[in-house]
Amino acid sequence: MDDNIVSAMLLVSIGLGALGLCAFLWGLKTGQFDDKNKFLDGALHDSEDDLNVAKKMEDKQNKVKRENK
Amino acid sequence: MQSLNKPTICNHCHLEFDNEVMILEKLDDRQLHFCCKGCQGVFHLLKDEGLDIFYDKVGSKTLHPVKNREHNLAKFDLDGFAKKYITKNNNLNKISLIIEGIHCSACIWLNERILHECDGIIEANINYTNHKAKVVWDPSVIKLSQIIEKIQSIGYNAYAYDSKLQEDRTNKIRKDYYSRLLVGIFCTMNIMWIAIAQYAGFFTGISQSIKDILNYAEFALATPALFYTGWYYFKGSYYGLKNKMINMDFLIAAGTLSAYIYSIYATLSKTGEVYFESVTMVITIIFAGKYLEILSKKNAIDSLDGISSSIPMEVTVIKDGVKSIIDTTQVKIGDLIEVKPGDRIAIDGILQSGAGSFDESSISGESNPVYKQLNDNITSGTICIDSVITYKAAKDLSHSMLQSITTLLEDSLTKKPKIEKIANQISGYFSLMVLSMAILTCIGWYTLGVSFEDAFIISISVIVIACPCALGLATPVATLIGVAVGAKKGILFKSSAHLETMAKATTIVLDKTGTITNGTPDVVGFKQKEDFDLNILYSLVKSSSHPISKAIVKWIEKQDLKPKEYILNDIKNIEARGLTAKYDNHAIYGGNIEFLKQMNIECELNSSKSVFIFAINDKVICSFELEDKLKTGAKDTIENIKKLGLDIIMCTGDNEHVAKDIANQVGITKIFHSMLPKDKADIISKLQKDNKVVITVGDGINDALALSKSDISIAMGNNTDLTVKVSDIIFINNKITTLYDAVILSRKVFRTIKQNLLFSLFYNFVTISFAVLGFVIPVVAAVSMSISSLIVVGNSVRIKRIFKDG
Repeated sequence: MDDNIVSAMLLVSIGLGALGLCAFLWGLKTGQFDDKNKFLDGALHDSEDDLNVAKKMEDKQNKVKRENK
Repeated sequence: MQSLNKPTICNHCHLEFDNEVMILEKLDDRQLHFCCKGCQGVFHLLKDEGLDIFYDKVGSKTLHPVKNREHNLAKFDLDGFAKKYITKNNNLNKISLIIEGIHCSACIWLNERILHECDGIIEANINYTNHKAKVVWDPSVIKLSQIIEKIQSIGYNAYAYDSKLQEDRTNKIRKDYYSRLLVGIFCTMNIMWIAIAQYAGFFTGISQSIKDILNYAEFALATPALFYTGWYYFKGSYYGLKNKMINMDFLIAAGTLSAYIYSIYATLSKTGEVYFESVTMVITIIFAGKYLEILSKKNAIDSLDGISSSIPMEVTVIKDGVKSIIDTTQVKIGDLIEVKPGDRIAIDGILQSGAGSFDESSISGESNPVYKQLNDNITSGTICIDSVITYKAAKDLSHSMLQSITTLLEDSLTKKPKIEKIANQISGYFSLMVLSMAILTCIGWYTLGVSFEDAFIISISVIVIACPCALGLATPVATLIGVAVGAKKGILFKSSAHLETMAKATTIVLDKTGTITNGTPDVVGFKQKEDFDLNILYSLVKSSSHPISKAIVKWIEKQDLKPKEYILNDIKNIEARGLTAKYDNHAIYGGNIEFLKQMNIECELNSSKSVFIFAINDKVICSFELEDKLKTGAKDTIENIKKLGLDIIMCTGDNEHVAKDIANQVGITKIFHSMLPKDKADIISKLQKDNKVVITVGDGINDALALSKSDISIAMGNNTDLTVKVSDIIFINNKITTLYDAVILSRKVFRTIKQNLLFSLFYNFVTISFAVLGFVIPVVAAVSMSISSLIVVGNSVRIKRIFKDG
């Protein structure tokens, strides 16, 4: 087998794996796995109403951020 | 007297109740039923706020009926409270709360929704799994007490917990370790299949160019494993060196690092074999053991969070007739303190007015409540069960029982590990020996006329061969499997080192209440003299929170699947004696013998046990005998442990009579009774002076001191106490039979460790001698390393079979 092919295969396969690992570590760091029930159960209670409330909440947070700047 | 009414369902909490007790209401042609004012209030509040969609989300699940909360919200705005629980950041306040009363995801939705719609709350996030909430708010708009009031208004309750102390920190550590472990596992998995190619290549031939490519790939994978995952060992050896100690961490770090450097040299010079895969594997496997330790610590802390919040921080002090709530640290000697039923006492004192029963089980281990009246001593840590009393503070907080036990514990915690030091010393000597041997080899070969380069490589191979699999894996793999097997059986080891100490134990000291016995009274005898409606008795005992009443409630619920609660009038709770009430113009009584005699009711009953007699209109209807029963399997467990050659001693705060009775039942001959917490600790010190290795099993604050003194401390998991904090091992399932399992498991693990060590020392001895003589051909090193670690791992896996053989 050509040396280049071996190195390319190694590079691509380990690179892909590393990419997945990095993505997982990033998710872990940002707290996406802290609450396993939230994404599943939370979806049951999603409605237009709740979206509006969430939007209002975001506005509140942004306002505070602006004030602090 | 059986009720003919059909049960109906409360519109808020969905529980079934008798129609006659329901509050009826008509709303838009709908007939509504409520079991209580609380439920009605919440229903209307949700309707007014447009949140009645909540009921669609809940479906047919039942909720707790809404209790009317005590409106004691002022404490949330106190400075002392703020200092302890609130973190401030940019004019915003943040607090961690535990929300009580959550049943399902709809409850969380409702709580988040009501908080989100509240002005001034910037962030509110409730965890679906553990019901802990983080709330951020603007204190200039809304006060914390108003936020808590909001949560209470919809029928839930919230209390603060200190996340700074434990949870946040351990969570961060756990996440950090998890990331490092993942990187290690990823690198190991990938490097192994490259290594297989290299092994195969070694036997069947491989071109140098392909070998180079594989070497570089292995280098790329071993680097993060060694320096990211293995960072822990470099840090550990640095601190070890700083304290002038060469520890196991140093050996692992030195071994792996030198193997790594040698491998880089081999890669660049294109001579010899690389050891990248050994470096990665050793680091990862040893790190996995470390991670498991952190994980079990986290579990212990999770159960602790609710507990520390039960220790009161404020007390109600009466000054010049004015009641005020102040921080416990500010209470002075002589202050008058008021206590309500269910409160835990924070400060020692002397009773001034009122009288009532106190649950002292957490301090003395006494299972029956103690009746206290004027001028009796009140001890902190006890709980006032049934009445409002005032007492005068006799000590300040730092000198009170509860606090002083806590401080003593904290002191002893920092002094603990004795065994660990010895283990570190031994591995320290080993590391030193290997290192000096490597240096001597280098010097020896050099003086014999070999080039320095060759001499250096030979000495490196000595370290490489000595370190990795041998001692590195022998202990962690065995304890790792031991800890995992234990967890399945409900045994939580806080640190794997405790398995070893446990296996060497010679004496077990057992507490009585809560350890050998259940800790709460159970009905053991029932005599009925006349026919009656069980529901009347049920309604009567249900109105009291006394342990005896609770036991009878439990008993009735076992007999009858759906006992009904009637409305009783004039319920009176006569402290430490009994209950009276009226039902349908009948006077009903329930209590002990003295109580009935006091009420001029004749009854004949002789029993050494606690008694509860139930009477209607001066006639005794039935009687109960209650006793603190043995835990299931207690007798067999103690017999089995004795067969293993361990001494068993019972140590209890209870009186001689009760202690001897229980000891006879389970077959314990050595007993110490009427012990105060300090006495228990003294007994353990005495045993240790006689060179005994002592295991203490306990469950209450009263055992905490003894637990912290003993070599291995085991806490029963049901407990809501400090004990969990000071214990090395926790029995999550709260069964006494687990003790036997734990002993045989630890012995098995210890035996396996010894076998592993023996094998690896033998392996080291042989291979090091070869290495020193310069005979190590790379393939011998690589193959023998893999085989030796396989043998160690395989031998350890046998631990898993311990509970399968019956």
